[in-house]
Amino acid sequence: MATKKEEKQFEKERKAAQKARYKKMKEEGLDKFLTPEQISYNRRRAVIGAIWPIFRFIILFGLCFVILYPLIFMLSTAFRPNEQMNDPSVVWLPKSFTMQNIKDVWDVMDFGNTAINTVVLNLVASILQVVTCSVTGYGFARFKFKGKAFLFAIVIMQIIVPPQITTIPLYLQYAYFKPQWLAKLLTNGETSLINSGWTMYLPALFANGLRAGLFIFIFRQYFRGLPKELEDAAYLDGCSPLYTFVKIMCPNAKSSFLTVFLFSIVWYWNDYYVSSSFFTKNDTVALMLKNLNTNLAQTLFDGQQVSVRQIIVWLEAGCLLSITPILIMYVFLQRYFIEGVERSGLAN
Amino acid sequence: MSEEIMNTPLDPEEVNTEFNEAEETVAEEAAEAAETVEENAAEASAVIEDITPEEPEETVEEAVEAVAAPAVKEKKHRLSYERRKGLYGYGFIILWALGTCYFFIAPFIESLIYSFNKTEVNQGGMKMEFIGLKNYRNAFRKDQDYSKALVEMLQSTVLRTPLILIFAIFIAVILNQKFKGRTFARAVFFLPVIIATGPVIDIINGNMDQGGFSGGAEQFSTMFEANLVDQLLNFLGVYNISDTLTETLNTLITDIFDLVWNSGIQILLILSALQGIPISAKEAAQIEGATAWEFFWKVTIPYISPMILASVVYTIVDSFVDPQNSVMKIVLNKASNWEHGYSAAMAWAYFAIVAVFLAIVVAFINKFVYYEVE
Repeated sequence: MATKKEEKQFEKERKAAQKARYKKMKEEGLDKFLTPEQISYNRRRAVIGAIWPIFRFIILFGLCFVILYPLIFMLSTAFRPNEQMNDPSVVWLPKSFTMQNIKDVWDVMDFGNTAINTVVLNLVASILQVVTCSVTGYGFARFKFKGKAFLFAIVIMQIIVPPQITTIPLYLQYAYFKPQWLAKLLTNGETSLINSGWTMYLPALFANGLRAGLFIFIFRQYFRGLPKELEDAAYLDGCSPLYTFVKIMCPNAKSSFLTVFLFSIVWYWNDYYVSSSFFTKNDTVALMLKNLNTNLAQTLFDGQQVSVRQIIVWLEAGCLLSITPILIMYVFLQRYFIEGVERSGLAN
Repeated sequence: MSEEIMNTPLDPEEVNTEFNEAEETVAEEAAEAAETVEENAAEASAVIEDITPEEPEETVEEAVEAVAAPAVKEKKHRLSYERRKGLYGYGFIILWALGTCYFFIAPFIESLIYSFNKTEVNQGGMKMEFIGLKNYRNAFRKDQDYSKALVEMLQSTVLRTPLILIFAIFIAVILNQKFKGRTFARAVFFLPVIIATGPVIDIINGNMDQGGFSGGAEQFSTMFEANLVDQLLNFLGVYNISDTLTETLNTLITDIFDLVWNSGIQILLILSALQGIPISAKEAAQIEGATAWEFFWKVTIPYISPMILASVVYTIVDSFVDPQNSVMKIVLNKASNWEHGYSAAMAWAYFAIVAVFLAIVVAFINKFVYYEVE
């Protein structure tokens, strides 16, 4: 195997040789070597090859701007002193920078503790969720059993029923959790699971966490697309289905595992509806951000009514704080993620 | 022969498989016999419990026994290979099934019960009084906002889904090409996935509306709204064809912010499917002299069709389930006013409609989906 560098070198040489050959052919007259169709095909390709990159750049640049606009705005506002918000001469670049907004927001959100709490919740739930959902998705993708269509219809139901509908009965279930001894065991003697992390872990453990239906669906689609010969070979070698799944299918489905894991982390991090229904004391970053408006008014303005305009710098600073950890993680995961996606492409 | 099997460290599954393949027909016959049905069921539950590693030992003995013993009698107990595999299928989904009963079906049915009752929250739970279909009747007859919001919701979803899908495929194909800065572009296009689901997006949009600058969605609408479409049509010599057309075009353009910010996941899904297209397919197409356009329709689309289905489902569901949409707003509003019964009735009617809509769409698209297996 040639290394990547060498491969690039080969590619270059190949292209140069091709160009030279084409030039030579042109000098001697193209129609000697190629049919008219081939000539027009080549010409068309050359034209498209010259124009398309420019179009592509314009499209991508424009759309990237649309996406990055709020982020640039956030950066520009978060480090700007509050007075300069009303200064018409300041548009993007403030006249002076300050860290005060960030500091204030850090205190208001109690960011250190909140972030650690959120990360723990997030990781445990996501890992559980990815494992159980992949197993379920595989079960739906590759086995024929009675009632499969019906059960899968339930998965679809889980996707389309938003958590808002089941939250209130679910709250009652957690609050009066049965069997009681299990609740006491899980929470050190409390009778209700409300405010404990188990309201997140338990559903995730049983493949019913946040948007689990969607993850099962993704896994099922992915496993269905993998060639069946892979497993048949394993079965002939005498592997049990579970062993086949762990040793043969999982490595082949790496990219979908990464995709689902990324989604899961992000959604748990951003979720505020479910956590606000089950947590009253157990604070997550998203919850803090949701309540930032009121909290800011209380601490900085003594509980007076303030408009969004007055506290915008703090709000933006809070946004920046809360997306920074996940953004950093994303930048790293993104690399692995794309590698994973590409590797799966080569494996085929 | 039986001793040989017992002595060699052969994996029991292999013995089983061979055995089963050889005698599958006999086993099927046995399964057809009415008496054996119960036995099969008993064994079925045994297999489900036995997916733990202890199982092989037992199967060795069983298999050996079966091989050793005169064929017909023992075969009644054996299941065909296909059916046994099916039972493993139950094993794979058992965890999910248990969880679903507790975390999904129970609360779901509970909320259905709420919808037929007048509910009142007091200490220790929910007090209910049965009133039949009155909640539903009220939702459709008395509440004018509700039915109006429903229709609007359906319309906007029908309009938005193909748009988002086409956009996502387009961007995914571009991002799949090789060019400088591709990694950066990809990272940027997935950014909305990270941000748009959280409370951050609310603050961004809220800020932009009230923050003195018009920004975000606001700015982009004003940028295009200055009757650009009308002017364009006039320039082309078309006057007043129809207000709805200009309006639709206008919304399409002004929604570009919305479009970009809502298609991150779809782009991700389709891009990962695009990576799965084998290089050999591309080479074959090039040798045949296929244009990029032909390649796209004949090779790319069939290959990514399973993920297209997934994206369609995701897009539709996402727009239906979004707490910001008008129907969900009404439903949640009622719930936070402690009218749980009424809100549950509204939600149930809503989801009946959504489910039917989704079923039709999926059934339709599934006809065109190409799976490599099967």
